[in-house]
Amino acid sequence: MDFNAFKQLVIDCCEKAGITEYELYYQAGSSISVDTFRHSINEFSSSRTGGVCFRCIVGGKMGYASTEELSPAQAMAIVTKAADSAALLESEEQVFLGEGGQEYAPLCTTPYGLPTTEELIAVTLQMQEKLYAANPAVIDGCQANGIVEQCEIAICNSRGLDLQYSNHVSGLVALGVVSDGKEMANDYQIKLGKLDEIDTDALAKKAVDGAIAGLGGEPAPTGQYPVVFDPDAMSALLSTFSGIFSSEAAQKGLSQLGGKEGEQIASEIVTLVDDPFHKENPMPINFDAEGSPTYKKNIIENGRLCTLLYNLKTAAVAGKATTGNASKSGYDAAVGVRPFTMFIAPGKVSEAELLSEIDHGVYIHSLGGLHAGANPISGDFSLQSAGFMIENGVRTRAVKSFTVAGNFYQLLKDITAIADNCTLPMAMGMTAFGAPSVRVDGLSIAGK
Amino acid sequence: MISREICQRVLQKAVSTGADYAEIFAENTVNHSINMIANKVDSIKDAVIAGAAVRIYKGLRSVMASTVDTSEEGLLRCAEAAAEALGQGSAQIDIVLKERLFGDIHPIRIVPASVSNREKIAILKEGYFAAREYDDSIVQVNGTLLDVDHNILIASTEGLYAQDRQIRTRMMIHAIAEVQGETQTGSCSPGRRMGLEMFENVVPREVGIHAARQAVTMAGAGYCPAGVMPVAIENGFGGVIFHEACGHSLEASSVAYGQSQFAGKLGQKIANEKVTAIDDGTIPNAWGSINIDDEGTPARRTVLIEKGILKSYLIDLFNGRRMGMESTGNARRQSYAYTTTSRMTNTYIAPGDDKNEDIIASIEYGLYAKEMGGGSVNPVTGEFNFAVNEGYIIRNGKICEPVRGASLVGKGSDVIQNIDMVGTDMAMGQGMCGSSSGNVPTNVGQPLVRVSSITVGGR
Repeated sequence: MDFNAFKQLVIDCCEKAGITEYELYYQAGSSISVDTFRHSINEFSSSRTGGVCFRCIVGGKMGYASTEELSPAQAMAIVTKAADSAALLESEEQVFLGEGGQEYAPLCTTPYGLPTTEELIAVTLQMQEKLYAANPAVIDGCQANGIVEQCEIAICNSRGLDLQYSNHVSGLVALGVVSDGKEMANDYQIKLGKLDEIDTDALAKKAVDGAIAGLGGEPAPTGQYPVVFDPDAMSALLSTFSGIFSSEAAQKGLSQLGGKEGEQIASEIVTLVDDPFHKENPMPINFDAEGSPTYKKNIIENGRLCTLLYNLKTAAVAGKATTGNASKSGYDAAVGVRPFTMFIAPGKVSEAELLSEIDHGVYIHSLGGLHAGANPISGDFSLQSAGFMIENGVRTRAVKSFTVAGNFYQLLKDITAIADNCTLPMAMGMTAFGAPSVRVDGLSIAGK
Repeated sequence: MISREICQRVLQKAVSTGADYAEIFAENTVNHSINMIANKVDSIKDAVIAGAAVRIYKGLRSVMASTVDTSEEGLLRCAEAAAEALGQGSAQIDIVLKERLFGDIHPIRIVPASVSNREKIAILKEGYFAAREYDDSIVQVNGTLLDVDHNILIASTEGLYAQDRQIRTRMMIHAIAEVQGETQTGSCSPGRRMGLEMFENVVPREVGIHAARQAVTMAGAGYCPAGVMPVAIENGFGGVIFHEACGHSLEASSVAYGQSQFAGKLGQKIANEKVTAIDDGTIPNAWGSINIDDEGTPARRTVLIEKGILKSYLIDLFNGRRMGMESTGNARRQSYAYTTTSRMTNTYIAPGDDKNEDIIASIEYGLYAKEMGGGSVNPVTGEFNFAVNEGYIIRNGKICEPVRGASLVGKGSDVIQNIDMVGTDMAMGQGMCGSSSGNVPTNVGQPLVRVSSITVGGR
């Protein structure tokens, strides 16, 4: 049964049950993935998933239920389950459904079409050969991965909201695995775009060079130094702590930024932006998970917290308007808050100039254990790191298997320089994160 | 879910272009959760996951296609897509499916779906308010009661037709304490492959108190010092050290491709002789247990390391082909939409013969990691990390003041050589392990162990 037929059944069930305020959120996706081993295809997978989330307001509470099975029995079941669960909720916060008839920014979807399976396989195999060609240190175990993702979203509700979105993206992942005879190291790089326009030589080289940089190297010496996070590492750190800018987290006491709007929370050189239409975001969208229009905004401007990110419910609690940041982590998730493309605005100096100011420091290009070694509530982090020493203003020997520790709330204040090399390497689900190279003073390194 | 006759026709279609093996995995899962925050029931979620995947092998090539349409037409289309992606060829095998009953070694007494939300809320509230009321410094508590009813069907061209119903239950309490402007968290998240009878043994109130006590302790703690030192890691979730430092690197998904620090090392000494490590999916009602894995291989107990010698990897059917080894019953996937691969079940370091007091007394200056958080590893290099949620300084053989914000990092092959004392009281902790085939429930476990030297990331 397709979504439109299912939708009609659900609407009929709502009428019978006397439910007048309701919404259906449909999300479907398909993905194709090809990966290689040695000189041939190892695995090919094509998956299709999709489901419907139904929510309704009964007695002033919002009940939820969802299903992947679109059948008459499930149409009835989700209406009943959602209404029943609403009756048991205790939260007294006011709940909302989005209104129809709002104006939306024009949407630019991916300008290229989808590759055929044959094209995807051919480019992936070619990518694999580029990995072997990039350096003699490359060993079996290096892999190329070709991906195609399609995504569809539809929202319709009893207040006249009726929105649809569909988009797709393709890309390549290069996994470089190298050995110097004593140890192995690896690195991977992702590039999204039209497959035949991706520079596979450059991508292979980047992944293999990254892997080679991981060979050898000792832990950095324990101590406190100026630390430079490269764009990948800073974006990863930002994505880990991005939840602190959610009004929902702040209102629930899960972020320390509650009540800080208008205050200086970061160094004056820090500007943090959320731009749903950033040109490097692979999935730009003009409405959020409640159907509110999305738009570009500064979250931090010159160190001052301009706004947290809001949805309809949290905005009402704060007496503000939504910032169009309602989100769902999956079709079946409750509505929360997320940024779309969150990035630290680039500064004016080059990375080389930024490094030239540091006599003795650590340059970090990769961080590990972000899901465990970082606590968004306290802001504390202690993270596995790899990178280089900085000596007399330049990057020198490789260092790895050490940790960098600090507190993210304090780190925002301790940013003393920002380079001009902002990139958006992190597409986490539907959110992309980006940052330039950033210098932070006062962090602790634990190594040898 | 899907009849034997339909499976047979779908498998026949799947091998029509020359595959030498085909499998159908179908699933119908209900995920149910109740969440409380700010002392109120905030959300109740009920989600039905339903779909199927067809996977075929030809030699060392695998093709997988999945669909949400589990009608015969939908499954046949899915099989056809897989067969076409494999390329040209013709059917080489006949398929006769025979139903197999593997039995259930994980009996369920109280099926969560048969219990009302009201009763579940009462259980959650017991844990929630125990945390909330533990101390005045507790400023927020987030509590979730989760139950999963995961029904799977697997049919393959080797004649297998089997089903399994995997029910699991988990309570998660996170407490936040604020002491003099310092905010810290504590958590406790026990789970079982069990119904709600779980709470006859796991007392909700104690779950709440455990989380709150940790938050309060940590809010009053100073930062952990940084450096290389000996660390005593407590039992239960402390077993995450083996899971990260070694377990992932023993998975066929890394080993078969040479992407593991332990590839080609069977029979060699890779760990301290004090270390015997086991993966056991057959422990009744344990969080990571299964009756059959997601390729239909019965769960088993596999000795991975015996007295420091590498004895076995964790193997699924497909990667086993490349390795020339049989499956160890470790093929797992989060759902039909993921491609199955080798994963851990309940993985632990077996009890040794060192007394707990001797382990602590042996450390002049070091860290006692009472409760661990999650971690991660790069199986290629073996470089791993994990967080210490509750740590204490050991001074002159005695456990002293609590310290916060620590993590442990190192290289797996070094660290398992450095586990040089192993205690007697083994216990397990529950986690959701994330990898290429999605998030699957796994237990980690160990007795108290001493790591003679490891980098402690503090400040």
